[in-house]
Amino acid sequence: MPKKNIEELKKEIKKLVSEIAEVSEEDLKEDAMFTEDLGIDSMMALEIIASLEKKYKLIIPEEKIPTIRSLKNVYDLLEEVYLKE
Amino acid sequence: MDETWDINKIQQILPQKYPFLFIDSVIDINKQEKKVACLKNVTINDYFFEGHFPDNPVMPGALIIEAMAQASIILYAALKPGVAEKHPDYYLGKVEAKFLKPVRVGDQLILEVSGEKILGNAGIVKAQAKVLNEIVAEAQIVFGVKPKE
Repeated sequence: MPKKNIEELKKEIKKLVSEIAEVSEEDLKEDAMFTEDLGIDSMMALEIIASLEKKYKLIIPEEKIPTIRSLKNVYDLLEEVYLKE
Repeated sequence: MDETWDINKIQQILPQKYPFLFIDSVIDINKQEKKVACLKNVTINDYFFEGHFPDNPVMPGALIIEAMAQASIILYAALKPGVAEKHPDYYLGKVEAKFLKPVRVGDQLILEVSGEKILGNAGIVKAQAKVLNEIVAEAQIVFGVKPKE
């Protein structure tokens, strides 16, 4: 299966995060902090990780999870894990 | 089954005690596939039937979720024995459940749980409760695990 390009990937990730976190895509700015600005708690963050793993068939290492604090962090992590696989 | 779980071990691992212990035995543990199956025998002696309901004893859906959550702790303990042996607190984060059939006196409730993501401090699992191989309830459960302070 050909890999998606980064813009396509970002669009999909944003939609997925918005659905799980119940934050509109409009409010989900790339730099907004999950906890402080968007009220996303650690359980939601875990759900986001699990959904990304399922959708893109990858494994995100446990030690990377605390580094995910904004949508931008998710993009960077996915770029690192998915595109360089 | 990778290991034996008798009722003593179940009681050691689960923080829930009588009258809130809803696992009678562990039927199967498959660590590789991150799956467990547990059993709860539903009997007229279960205290909740006194009120739910006097003329129509049906196991409360909330307690079926509790039984699935307890089976999830068994799975967690099988996969993360080092964390579980320190008796952490387990707390529910989110439950999405469906109830398909009533669970009645005499039923053997089989609780099958499979791990979607199991971490040192949390887990996401899919659970199915079955009676005679038919699904009576299913849920996705997100839970946190926190060491005692």
